Amino acid sequence: MDPVLLGEVLSGMMFFGIIGFLLLGFPVAFTLAGVSLMFGAAGWGFGVFDPSNFGSLPNRYIGFMTNEVLVAVPLFIFMGVMLERSQIAEQLLLTMGKLFGNLRGGLAISVIIVGTMLAASTGVVGATVVTMGLISLPAMLRAGYDPKLATGVICASGTLGQIIPPSTVLIFMGDMLSGINSQVQMAKGNFAPVPVSVGDLFAGAILPGLLLVCLYLAYTIFKAITDPASCPATPVPPDEKGDLLREVFTALVPPLLLILAVLGSILGGIATPTEAASVGAVGAMVLAALRWRLSFRVLQETVVQVATITSMVFVILLGASVFSVVFRLMGGDNLVHEFLSNLPGGTLTAVAVVMVIMFVLGFILDTFEIIFIVIPITAPVLLMLDVDPVWLGVLVGVNLQTSFLTPPFGFALFYLRGVAPADLPTSAIYKGIIPFVGLQILAIAILFAFPGIVTWLPRLIAN
Amino acid sequence: MMRWVATLAAVICRVNWLIGQFFSWLSLGIVAICFAVVVQRYIFSVSHVWMQDLYIWLNGAMFTSVAGFALLRENHVRVDIFYRPAKMQSRALVDLVGVLFFLLPFTVVVAVYSTPFVLRAWSYYEGSANVGGMPGLFLLKSFILAFVVLLAAQGIAMICRSVLVLRGQADLVPELMQYPQTQPVAPSATSIATLGKR
Repeated sequence: MDPVLLGEVLSGMMFFGIIGFLLLGFPVAFTLAGVSLMFGAAGWGFGVFDPSNFGSLPNRYIGFMTNEVLVAVPLFIFMGVMLERSQIAEQLLLTMGKLFGNLRGGLAISVIIVGTMLAASTGVVGATVVTMGLISLPAMLRAGYDPKLATGVICASGTLGQIIPPSTVLIFMGDMLSGINSQVQMAKGNFAPVPVSVGDLFAGAILPGLLLVCLYLAYTIFKAITDPASCPATPVPPDEKGDLLREVFTALVPPLLLILAVLGSILGGIATPTEAASVGAVGAMVLAALRWRLSFRVLQETVVQVATITSMVFVILLGASVFSVVFRLMGGDNLVHEFLSNLPGGTLTAVAVVMVIMFVLGFILDTFEIIFIVIPITAPVLLMLDVDPVWLGVLVGVNLQTSFLTPPFGFALFYLRGVAPADLPTSAIYKGIIPFVGLQILAIAILFAFPGIVTWLPRLIAN
Repeated sequence: MMRWVATLAAVICRVNWLIGQFFSWLSLGIVAICFAVVVQRYIFSVSHVWMQDLYIWLNGAMFTSVAGFALLRENHVRVDIFYRPAKMQSRALVDLVGVLFFLLPFTVVVAVYSTPFVLRAWSYYEGSANVGGMPGLFLLKSFILAFVVLLAAQGIAMICRSVLVLRGQADLVPELMQYPQTQPVAPSATSIATLGKR
């Protein structure tokens, strides 16, 4: 057999082999690395892979360990965990519920607005789903909401942190795409390319994030008009109204200040995402302290959570590096290149195919695993085909929000199931998410048709 | 014999637990030093290259050194559609196979290719590539070896656990790493999607 073909066949088998082995349930990071090593060994036996290529691993690893962009990840996670401790989510939900309760669909609207604000003030898809499931779900069910609408709106709004900046997913994506972009531009003979930064991706993701929020709101209002029984109003008793204005003010100020400080300084070009993240982390500690929630014990639990979650994400990256080395050197890159460049319909079909693959992987994997596997092998080809890197990154972010929403392995669904009342059927949660996954696909279609929604703001800021 | 296996697992768990508890505090260090750099730059218009190196390096040291601890705490994400509802014996078997065929080969390969890399850094006490940066890059590079050793050790503890469970002596498994008896509704792994609520 022709060695080139053999290598390509082996790398293709490796990709599907990994998916199969992942279903065993051993941690993803090590399954990725281990299966890649097995196929690397097979390739070595057939003479299509030279193990001395693993010599590049330590260089890659120390590269991740000294990466000044990626250090923003633990900082944003710190900010997220600390904010959770300060319980601003709880306060926001209760206040907004009162504010909008008088409207049909009002509780659902308040969930969407709170989800947006939390997404814009922290960099992680937080335990927002859990908090909303504990506070807003019972309120909505008591008011007589259709459980499908109630659960769907919570899962979708609770995962907006994935795409609305600052977002840890976009940090990893920005770091990968900037490296790939400069290599591709070099290969094209462009020796002074315009660099891609995390800040560009943040700027590019703002309008698409708001587009999603508008779609969720539009759907809720549509339901309120066409099917009023699915989301009745919950009038607030006058004696509870009390000082609502003041309450709204005190609930809104802290998150708004954080959003202004963190996002404003990044987009204004004043601070790098990393610097802004440290300000956000300190701000979150101050908030927690002001609410008397900052003790040694809280701090200890916080640092352990931050360190272990950060480690979990980076270790997936380390495992995925093994996959990249084996896949690339056995010729998988060529396979992907040939496949994507020869599709009928050209560049847009190629992007669409990659999006469909990522969407399907989202049924069993999480965002991080998918981008660490798929971006390094497909982005070089797509950027070679003149796809705008910022547009690509944001599109992937919007697409992969569904990885948290699609059963059987969608974290948002799991967590809502965990806190939802036992008599709420799981099928209601699964059915409830369908329209929102549909809205997500609609958003991707809109971004495909009007790429300017992504690229307009970064260009405006650059000038 | 089984008592020795249980003791080995308990010792490894304890070591990774202590290291994890200690090195987790580096996350607070990252926040503090990065914030100090920001304050210095924007308020006092001074900057120290070594401080900029330091908080970045602390992240590298942190995520490598707590990886074994994260494995002990079941933080590493599993695709657990089948794993979670499975019998304890089946889970033990999956973990045994996973450690032997995935985790240990990974740590061995990284160790084999990193050792010369780290030794070279030690041979001239390599420092930061940045002018005015931190000394001691060779120490940071050594964390790659710490990473594989701690991870492999925790893997061996998992083998011990699997052996104990499969030999019907699950009661000997150290408390820190016992399989949950009744399955929680929420998944055991902590993803970034599941911050905090465990």
